[in-house]
Amino acid sequence: MPDEIRSIDCRTAVSKLWDYLDQELDDARMREVQKHLENCSACLPHADFGQRFLHALNGARQRHLTPPAVRSQVMAALAADGFKQD
Amino acid sequence: MAERGEDLKSKDESFARDALRWMDDVYRFALSLTRDPSDAQDIVQETYLRAYRSWHTFQPGSDGRRWLFTICRNVFLRSRQQGRLEVEVSDGDAEAIAAAREHKAMIDDGSDRLLASVDLGPALDRALANLDEPFRSAVQLVDVEDQSYEAAAEILGVPIGTVRSRLFRARRQMQQVLAVHAKDAGLLTDSSGRHSHA
Repeated sequence: MPDEIRSIDCRTAVSKLWDYLDQELDDARMREVQKHLENCSACLPHADFGQRFLHALNGARQRHLTPPAVRSQVMAALAADGFKQD
Repeated sequence: MAERGEDLKSKDESFARDALRWMDDVYRFALSLTRDPSDAQDIVQETYLRAYRSWHTFQPGSDGRRWLFTICRNVFLRSRQQGRLEVEVSDGDAEAIAAAREHKAMIDDGSDRLLASVDLGPALDRALANLDEPFRSAVQLVDVEDQSYEAAAEILGVPIGTVRSRLFRARRQMQQVLAVHAKDAGLLTDSSGRHSHA
């Protein structure tokens, strides 16, 4: 028998929204929030907003890379400690 | 001697493959902890030296990045001669609901459109840098470095619930900063779709 997806109210959905966007809920809870968002025009914009916010924040990965001088210093320190790279 | 040489070569190869590849990630985390490029440089160097010296304890196939983040944080704490930061406990669900109220206010005044219309990078970088510890580390690990709540909790040495509440509070604070940024930049639009300078 397929599991029925439990209905949840807006407050519950919103309280789990970050966990949902981070994919940190178990499968049953993920489906509950997903179902609520599909049927709630009030909560959906919050999810869209949160998704865009997190996507933009994650962009920092591309904006901040190790400066070449730092990388050189680390490699020199490791070499002094015996590390050799082919 | 030849056998020992082979061991060292194997060690260096695995270190290059499983540790050095994460230097950008470790540097970003160190920078988020120190907020100072020079201090971050020292932290990254010490992190890698410690990692190299204790590479024999690393379990092949385990998460090298998580291991390095943990060392990095320990190096940082020791450099500041401080123990673990106080664990504050708050309600993650309440933070999430409060964040939704922030969302709604931004949607209502149009500032949420900022996310879709401009390069948020500089504003987000400033907002992140201005967060206080321990909130900054939670955002850096989960939102930037894609660590799970469980991994971040292990790295930071706190319960998962604490990571969750810190993370949600930090996100809410950053959204408040973005809303102010939108207003200051005059990026809000009025009902006709024209820019207004509120």
